[in-house]
Amino acid sequence: MKSETGFDPDLFNRFPTQGDRPEGEEEGLKRVWCAPKGWEYLTVVNNNYVGIYYLGTAFLFFLLAGVLGLLMRVQLAAPLMNVLPQATYNQVFTMHGTVMMFLFAVPMVEAAGVLLLPQMLAARDLPFPRLSAYAFWAYAVGGLAFFGSLFIGLAPDGGWFMYPPLTSKAYSPGINTDFWLLGIGFIEISAIAGAVEIIVGVLRTRAPGMSLDKMPIFAWAMLVFAVMIVIAFPSVILATLLLEIERAFNWPFFDATRGGDPVLWQHLFWFFGHPEVYIIFLPAAGMMSMIIPTVARAELVGYRLIVLAMIATGFISFGVWAHHMFATGLPPMTAGFFSAASMAVSLPAGIQVFSWIATFAVGKPRFNTPGLFAMGSVVIFVTGGLTGVMVALVPFDWQAHDTYFIVAHLHYVLIGGMVFPLFAAMYYWIPMVSRRPLSERWGRWVFGLMFGGMNIAFMPMHLSGLMGMPRRIYTYLPGSGWDTLNLISTLGAFMLAAGVLLFLIDMARNFRLAPEEGEAGNVFGAGTLEWLPTGLYSTRSIPVVKSREPLWDDPNISEDVERGRYFLPRTATGRRETIVTSPLLAEPQYVQIMPGPSVWPFAAALFTAGFFLALTVQAYLFALVSGVLGILAVLCWLADTDLPVPENDVDIGAGIRVPTYVTGPQSHGWWAMMILIVVMGMIFAMALFSLAFLWGNQPSFWTAPPPMLEALPIALGYLAVIAAAWGTRELHRIGKSWAILPALAGAIVAPALLWLDIGAWSAVTAPDAGGQGAAVFALFSLQGMVAAIAVLMALYLGWRQLRRVVTARRNNTLDLTCLFIAYTGAQGLVGTLFARSIGA
Amino acid sequence: MPAETDLKAVLGGWPPAVLDPAGPYSEPVTLLSWALLIGGAVVLAIVLAALGVALWGAPSLRKRLGGDKAIWIGGVAFPVVVLTVLLVWGLWLTGDLAAKAPRPGEMRVRVTGEMWWWRVSYLDKAGRPVMQDANELHVPIGETVLLELDSADVIHSFWVPRLAGKMDMIPGRRNLLRIQADQPGTYGGQCAEYCGGPHALMGFAVVAHTPESFKRWRAGRLAPRPAPPPSRGQELFLTSGCAACHTIAGTEARGLAGPDLTHVGSRRTLGAGILPNNRGTLAGWIADSQTLKPGNRMPNYKQFTAEELNALADYLAGLK
Amino acid sequence: MDDRRTGVLFALMATLLLAACEDIAVAPHEANEASITRGKAATQRLGCGACHAIPDIWPQGTTGPALTNFADRGLIAGKLPNRPGELAAYLLDPPATVPGTAMPKIPMTQQDAADIAAFLHHSDAR
Repeated sequence: MKSETGFDPDLFNRFPTQGDRPEGEEEGLKRVWCAPKGWEYLTVVNNNYVGIYYLGTAFLFFLLAGVLGLLMRVQLAAPLMNVLPQATYNQVFTMHGTVMMFLFAVPMVEAAGVLLLPQMLAARDLPFPRLSAYAFWAYAVGGLAFFGSLFIGLAPDGGWFMYPPLTSKAYSPGINTDFWLLGIGFIEISAIAGAVEIIVGVLRTRAPGMSLDKMPIFAWAMLVFAVMIVIAFPSVILATLLLEIERAFNWPFFDATRGGDPVLWQHLFWFFGHPEVYIIFLPAAGMMSMIIPTVARAELVGYRLIVLAMIATGFISFGVWAHHMFATGLPPMTAGFFSAASMAVSLPAGIQVFSWIATFAVGKPRFNTPGLFAMGSVVIFVTGGLTGVMVALVPFDWQAHDTYFIVAHLHYVLIGGMVFPLFAAMYYWIPMVSRRPLSERWGRWVFGLMFGGMNIAFMPMHLSGLMGMPRRIYTYLPGSGWDTLNLISTLGAFMLAAGVLLFLIDMARNFRLAPEEGEAGNVFGAGTLEWLPTGLYSTRSIPVVKSREPLWDDPNISEDVERGRYFLPRTATGRRETIVTSPLLAEPQYVQIMPGPSVWPFAAALFTAGFFLALTVQAYLFALVSGVLGILAVLCWLADTDLPVPENDVDIGAGIRVPTYVTGPQSHGWWAMMILIVVMGMIFAMALFSLAFLWGNQPSFWTAPPPMLEALPIALGYLAVIAAAWGTRELHRIGKSWAILPALAGAIVAPALLWLDIGAWSAVTAPDAGGQGAAVFALFSLQGMVAAIAVLMALYLGWRQLRRVVTARRNNTLDLTCLFIAYTGAQGLVGTLFARSIGA
Repeated sequence: MPAETDLKAVLGGWPPAVLDPAGPYSEPVTLLSWALLIGGAVVLAIVLAALGVALWGAPSLRKRLGGDKAIWIGGVAFPVVVLTVLLVWGLWLTGDLAAKAPRPGEMRVRVTGEMWWWRVSYLDKAGRPVMQDANELHVPIGETVLLELDSADVIHSFWVPRLAGKMDMIPGRRNLLRIQADQPGTYGGQCAEYCGGPHALMGFAVVAHTPESFKRWRAGRLAPRPAPPPSRGQELFLTSGCAACHTIAGTEARGLAGPDLTHVGSRRTLGAGILPNNRGTLAGWIADSQTLKPGNRMPNYKQFTAEELNALADYLAGLK
Repeated sequence: MDDRRTGVLFALMATLLLAACEDIAVAPHEANEASITRGKAATQRLGCGACHAIPDIWPQGTTGPALTNFADRGLIAGKLPNRPGELAAYLLDPPATVPGTAMPKIPMTQQDAADIAAFLHHSDAR
């Protein structure tokens, strides 16, 4: 067998080790990973807690948005009802969509990842526990505040895709729309944070020996999911930024009368918005691919095909966004491309569906509740997929678009593709965290009501859509012929809700959290690692993985793991730690020292929420104070990280020694920074696209940019910044203690260069003068933001240097700061040249 | 009650507008729709059958399903064939139906979406507006009509399902849509892109005439008409603020914000498709439009006496 | 059948009849189901709701008086006795029947007027 890192794979044969481990090791693990008490529940960072918090909050949003859905169904049960007045209805449907998509679906699957991935990969935790905690708190506080806007009548009312100019200041003067932008801001933060966490977690913290082809399929799904978030979310981050800037400062990005273009929003939104559907679907499909083999008591058929299908879905989903825009008057050629891509994306879905069917066929399927939900999911999802193929055909979409046909289609896809798998997953994995499993008898009722209710509610909508009923109408006139169908839909919706209610009652009866031990365990007889006996420290020892279903293939594995006969059966340094392995073959590389509980992520999240909320209600002083406190909280949370331990290397079992501190491309921090840079780069790329798009569509508003030659000194300056960042790292490696100085200088110079650029452009145009000015100054705003972060990081590095915690020759904080400063220079360079070349 | 009446009562909207085409720009889509609906049902049945076999089938059948080969056939080969056929059909139809530049001699009308009604401008050969109307469009049967779709404020979408698919009205762009009705009659539609407030109450009607009837209608509309004799209603209209937003050709009323009322008496509906049009509803609309269509841009005019309201309603109803 | 039983039976029947009479008392004219149904449709078709709040009719205008429980009203437009015949005549041409009324003349047939009167007087319009 070839090795990826020089690790000798024969070493794996030393496990399981023989004999008993010394006394006290398990107690040591328990001490380091101890459970919180009282207020400490706010400071926990362990995935066992954060995952549950996260799931609970996301499910709460599912219930809240579900209630909104019921209210809508009551209003539409008959023509001209007056249950929800027009203005309220418009807020309610906007919130239903927004909360379901942004505050339930994405966080829910991300939460499932946070809770399940470390267990499946047999890692002690995800690599950045404090980041998880921060992401969760920011999401919970921000999401609840956002939802609260509904109770004071200030909820957004522009629909979940918030098309300008309806959502611009002229037509939505209230702060309702700002609340939307705020709410989305939080989920953007937590989604990106989660994506970083999941990518690094999946690629670097797998149990030794778990090469990519032995990885549980859910981990594959989450990996593709996270990569898609990294590519897709920047687009909506930029879109929301631009819309908020337009509303606050009158920069006309989307105002056609001043050189903006409302269609720009649609491109930015749907470039995110359609992949979003697969972002939701893939993890759920991953869950299905985990559950079905257990239910069918057979190995998953077509594992490799499914992995390929997931990756293909990820790719194709970025080529389908404009199928939401067929009625905007796209040229037929463009429409044709997106039509073809939209059909192609159904192929990978078909592969997965037939893999599941094949798995049922080879196995001995059981009709337990997870099984029923999985089978129901297949039926519903296939129905939604078929209507999806229909609307992918441009001429049919011209009729079906924005009607109840689409409402039916999207609910079939999302309920079949996400909600049913989620319920299957809850029934399936709850025994992993709860003392008692949920009731099988009740589960059948829950499934029956939900499956029947779902179909009764949404099947008639296909027909009402074809009868001409548009979406998003708060009422309809008698005699349109839609009455009966709508009444049936309403009854179905309540039936669906009754199923969910039954589920909640069963949760109250049976769900008893057992984070330390005493959980019901492997009641379904699954084969993957999350069913190993665990404590708060995850598994006692981290097994060597030799197959996809180790628990099926090695009957002794649970006992060996529990007795500490595998990797890291103790805390080697007396701190929280996990093994970092290589990305492809999962060979042990080093022991990561993990940060413990801290109040600072919680505080940082509170202040982040305070900052955005205060901005929304225009309490600027409060916003400023919150913002500064938020940054301080982040610095405090970082202060006790990246501190090397006395042991340079430790024994992780069977005499295998690995280092405790690495830098450069091997380190998990380096990976996270690279992902962050990709995110920043994508945001910036989208801003560049916006500028080019406006030029292409509103050329009559264009003025000649400042001459390119003038940009030469600025460009050279940015090159110098890059060189300084690179030089700092090199100088530090040869042991110069003053090495950080060039980086500091570079960080200071970058904003100055930006200032020069802004000066040159101010002579030509202003940000509120037209689309061009707005788009150019948006580039500068992004550059300013990045430059400000770079300055902050440089100051932080300087502070650490003064504290003498920057280790000589190799240091992660220094490396990552230099990487970011170099990125700042590169982004500035591209921006300054690009802005001057568009329309020159 | 007899069964057929029951069915009619249950499915008042039957046949669904999308499946009941009335012209050459909707007919091919209906054919496609039926193909898709039936094909979809068949595929769903196949998948369900496969799932059924997987769960309950005879071991020999299950064995056939349980391998990579089944995945390749069911998940790849079969869809590729079906989707390719559909794609070609769809692309061909897209190219066929997408409206391009006006044909010589073709009737052209500019329809502008406004919050929450439709401005209708009949254009001459050179594209200049010759006649204004609102919320309904008169066309001759058997002839194509090119619609130029604009927006005055936010995004709307023009949709008369029995005549054609929908097309968005986007500020800063002009989209084209071609329609044709083959039978005389009235074809309803509704704004299909959420445009805030009373988006649900933004209806539209296309009235298709026989060629002779259309000629008469058009001639009647275009003929110079004697200024209506001064009346109490007209005086009130001009002095009460109505003229600030509405135009009535031949009078001082030249407001542009609201619908042109030159022919308001002959329209089929009031309030963009939501009310019948008669003296009574006119009076009710003037006094209390905010109750009838909450959020619309016309304020309530509660200051009129009974006599004044009657005079106004009479005057407007007489504007044929 | 003994007398006591017969007495109870008669009493029962009388009660039932009386109960039935209550319905008739609301619309003592020849209003029948069909007329009421037609009347409701005409009310909707002519847009009476533009000025009047009428149960089950959209919209619920506020310009004219609400017509809930119309059968219990004393006078039509404050002038005419509230009987279906008078109501139908008023509906056909309000300004001619009650000079000075705000209600304009709305084009409708005699049948429409009679049907609407029947509808307004029927308990459905409560």
